[in-house]
Amino acid sequence: MAAIETDEDDFEIDAEDLDDSPVTGSVSEQLSLLVNDLHITYRVFGAKKVGHGPAKEQSALQKFLSRGASSQQGVREVHAVRGISFSARHGESIGIIGVNGSGKSTLLRAIAGLIPPAQGSVYVAGDPALLGVNAVLMGDLTGERNIMIGGLALGLTPQQVKDRYQDVVDFAEIGEFVNLPMKSYSSGMGQRLRFAISASAVPDILMIDEALSTGDAGFRAKSKARINEVREAAGTVFLVSHSLATVKSMCERVLWVHQGQLVMDGPAEEVCKHYRRFVVASREAAKAKADAEK
Amino acid sequence: MTASEPATPTVPPPLERTYDPAWVEETARSNGLERMGVRPRLGEYLGELWRRRTFIRVLAVSKSQASNQNTYLGQVWALLTPILNAAVYILIFGFILKVGRAGIENTIAFIVVGVFFFRFFERSIHAGSKAIRSNLNLVRSVHFPRAVLPVSGVLAELTTLLPALVVMCLIAYFSGLLPNEGDVPLAWRWFLLIPAVILTWAFSTGCAFIMARLVAQTPDIDNLIPFGTRLLMYASGVIFSIDHFLGSFSWGWIMKYQPVAVYLELARSAILNEPSAPLDPTMWLIGLGWAIVFLVGGFLFFWQGEETYGRN
Repeated sequence: MAAIETDEDDFEIDAEDLDDSPVTGSVSEQLSLLVNDLHITYRVFGAKKVGHGPAKEQSALQKFLSRGASSQQGVREVHAVRGISFSARHGESIGIIGVNGSGKSTLLRAIAGLIPPAQGSVYVAGDPALLGVNAVLMGDLTGERNIMIGGLALGLTPQQVKDRYQDVVDFAEIGEFVNLPMKSYSSGMGQRLRFAISASAVPDILMIDEALSTGDAGFRAKSKARINEVREAAGTVFLVSHSLATVKSMCERVLWVHQGQLVMDGPAEEVCKHYRRFVVASREAAKAKADAEK
Repeated sequence: MTASEPATPTVPPPLERTYDPAWVEETARSNGLERMGVRPRLGEYLGELWRRRTFIRVLAVSKSQASNQNTYLGQVWALLTPILNAAVYILIFGFILKVGRAGIENTIAFIVVGVFFFRFFERSIHAGSKAIRSNLNLVRSVHFPRAVLPVSGVLAELTTLLPALVVMCLIAYFSGLLPNEGDVPLAWRWFLLIPAVILTWAFSTGCAFIMARLVAQTPDIDNLIPFGTRLLMYASGVIFSIDHFLGSFSWGWIMKYQPVAVYLELARSAILNEPSAPLDPTMWLIGLGWAIVFLVGGFLFFWQGEETYGRN
């Protein structure tokens, strides 16, 4: 749980970087997303026995022999999302918060149709686009190639990509680096470029996974403006972030996900207040434990 | 820490909220929502794939350009690797073991054509097997028909093959001028190389579809591929004449008419002047048949797993 390892609730972003004006958009009555009783299970290869402490010492022979018998340990099913239901309307911007490993990113991917649900259903209007900071396009290729590939993957025509090319480069602020392979980029440059590419198409549903935790204040301001554009075009925006300041400044509604389940769904202020209380309590509990061990 | 603060963090109980399935379906319809994570119908899928043809092409060309980027010679390796590969086989099987000489007039040309064509097929299989796994980041961030990946993987190999084919033809022609080797005259039938490449391409794409789904679902299969392709190499007469070595067996015809051997023979019958590889319309029909069977079958097989890709 990363949230309890630091002294600040909003350790990624200084609150004063973000202006306090609430994001505005016209929320229509039309639904853009409907999620019903969603369950997601992952297959994970190479998983070791789960338990506390290191595995019991075994001789090489024992290890070899037990490998066949316990082969089910090699593949594990992880139940990441366990029965989540909610709906969203056009023009809404929704934050998803929760501690690490609570299933936020998985939920987002399932909504985008990138991970098939094990149970339940997801109904979406139009084509959702997921924007994650981890989504490497192709590291061996130049930024210019990646802009083309990313744009085409998002469903733009080659002409549209060419028209928006300069915008993307300017938005990402990568300048001359656009002609170098992406693997030579700094992590911030890569993330900015990915955001710029994803934002070059105006999707019906834009999902942002931790993307705004990077970049300087200027870039975040531009990102916020971009998100507002999407919302004005009657799109829905989802934002996963550990930073409550980001969530509060960008979203009016917040979902709190805990251990794969939805524990709270409501106005940003209220949910964030409860979540902050929980994080503070967690931190106190961790401190108390550390004190007790001393 | 004061006593008033809670000792254990509390999380509200999960919201017990599920919608009635009938209401969900009705609402989805009235709001024009589409269900995600289900396999699209075949017609829609093909249409979507066709709309992404530029994407396929750009992806293929980019991949092919990026493949040798980390070397000093760069794209020269695309030509050098198959030449060196062929040289090793010619040296060992043609001149030391003499396996490649029996029943063949021009060993160099025979092995060069065999190696260049087989290499394309082999690399297409690899491209197919890696299609989903090595593009997992792309698969998990953007929504597009996944068939784009194996198709563009094989297309990338084809773009690498085309310049290599020019080198192949040059080697075949000049080997005919050597005193010990059979003549390889320029002829109109050299143009038959074009349909031979197209058929091999279609067949390889079909195989890539099959491998892509198998490896995406069972990654272990990836480890078996090198053995499979090695076996196929010896079973397809890349470096020796199937007729000469296996023709006498009752099962020799299986080796002769299996797809990879058919495509090698088609390519050889177009370029070489070998009595063992004459122009044979039956072979062309069989080659066309295999291409259609594998392309259509492989595509359907891949499409049936569409909604499962990206799950691991």
